[in-house]
Amino acid sequence: MSDQQVPVLMDRDSREWWLALRRHELALQTCTDCGRLRWPSRAICNDCGSLEWRWTESRGTGTVVSWTVTHRPPSPQALVPYTVVLVRLDDQDDVFMPGGWNGPADGEGLAIGLHVRVGYQAVVDQHGEDATILRWEPSVGSGEEI
Amino acid sequence: MPHAERTLRDRTAIVGVGYTDYSRDSGVSTQTLALRAIRAALDDAGLGVRDVDGVACHRVGDSVDPAQVAQGLGIADVRFVRDVFGGGSASVGTLVDAAMAVASGMAECVVCWRALNSRSEGRMGSATGPAAAAGDAQYWIPHGHLTPPQLFAMETRAYLHRWDYAAEDLGRVAITQREHARLSPRAMMTQPLTMEDYLASRWISDPLRLFDCCLETDGAVALVVTTAERARDLRKPAVLISGAAFGGGYQLTSNHWSDRSVAPAVRMAPRLYASAGIGPEEIDVAEFYDAFTPLVLMQLEAYGFCKPGEAAAMVADGATALGGSLPVNTHGGHLSEGYVHGLNHVVEAVNQLRGACGPRQVPGAEVALATSQPGMLSGATSAVVLRQAA
Repeated sequence: MSDQQVPVLMDRDSREWWLALRRHELALQTCTDCGRLRWPSRAICNDCGSLEWRWTESRGTGTVVSWTVTHRPPSPQALVPYTVVLVRLDDQDDVFMPGGWNGPADGEGLAIGLHVRVGYQAVVDQHGEDATILRWEPSVGSGEEI
Repeated sequence: MPHAERTLRDRTAIVGVGYTDYSRDSGVSTQTLALRAIRAALDDAGLGVRDVDGVACHRVGDSVDPAQVAQGLGIADVRFVRDVFGGGSASVGTLVDAAMAVASGMAECVVCWRALNSRSEGRMGSATGPAAAAGDAQYWIPHGHLTPPQLFAMETRAYLHRWDYAAEDLGRVAITQREHARLSPRAMMTQPLTMEDYLASRWISDPLRLFDCCLETDGAVALVVTTAERARDLRKPAVLISGAAFGGGYQLTSNHWSDRSVAPAVRMAPRLYASAGIGPEEIDVAEFYDAFTPLVLMQLEAYGFCKPGEAAAMVADGATALGGSLPVNTHGGHLSEGYVHGLNHVVEAVNQLRGACGPRQVPGAEVALATSQPGMLSGATSAVVLRQAA
């Protein structure tokens, strides 16, 4: 999908997260009252109800929870197959983050539980502007399962 | 009955069901589909348009506005209007809204429907359709991950892995339902389906093949809901809304729900059964929301018909086929009858409880379960227990 314009649809809550991604920073919200992490961005803590929070940086690692290999393109321009992975962050076990996959297009070698780290892919958005999207990749010493 | 004033149990009834043809190109508007299905449901109930004082539908920006339908029906001063934004998770809940309106006295007779041209007009998740920019979709769309088969394929792989299920376990769901559809005059898919056909069908989004996916259908169904008292005087045997529940689910934000291989409806099911005063062993027939085959297995487990990890064996043993201990999706479901986004399952449940299903009738069916999507991705779910009126 590298030569295409990629729709980047940030909203008022998520804008800072997307801008952080452009700086190659993976941001999470941290509740300043109870310390709980959350993503996607919300105004309120889903544990203690606090409205006080700050952006903090994720460790940028996690494990593969699942992945898909798309064979039927959702739009005529899409090149298939391609793989999308869902990762459970090491930071907190109920934070899940999807992304592309920096590996074989058919997902060969992926396994549930595979340890991965964040990668970043430069793209051009629907307005022709530079943007960055997530692209997970095997962590160092890839192939390990934890 | 304790707390009778605070329960929905058996206070309202479905007294009419109606549907249009299910097709790949209706050639008409969703408004026309809705009005035709409503007219059919009122005819079925022996009621006229002047009897209707409430309207409720669900849609995802792809169908007619219910206020417009109320105007079309000639309801000058409509007493209840419910326009639910939602897909499969909201289907049964829309019926529950109608029941609550009737039980509260807000309205006396509510029509509830789903009308869509999901094949010939707005195909769901189409990259060329209206962008679903809100919420979690923004995190999936840049990766080319936006269609329902892609979204559910992600849930499916985690589920299959967790319980060590094979492709054939999904295939048996599709095959069982195809056999049921062959007994339904409304079904869109009536050719026999073999395991070889299933396994040879093309990948849509691995691990989902073509025959794991529901149909895309043009069509509408409608239900007429009124009080249990009034139902006794109407044309057809009344079907009571005996229990109902809404429940939570997960999105990317999962609120401590860290196991993505169990359907969140597992938390709602006890509340649903308690609302009806029964347990799963009293359900004679189950109509499970089945946009994709794995949802049937997940719901057998979530609604307590077997233990987690045992649903595939239950299907393989024939328990969910007609003649089995719990016939499931007796109309063929969304996989083989048609995709009217949940409410055609309620129509089938009503017809089963009326004893009106001909060759696919479950003998002696008195209590039925009808569900919506069990809460993955959407963050919410809903279901009803229906009972033959005494």
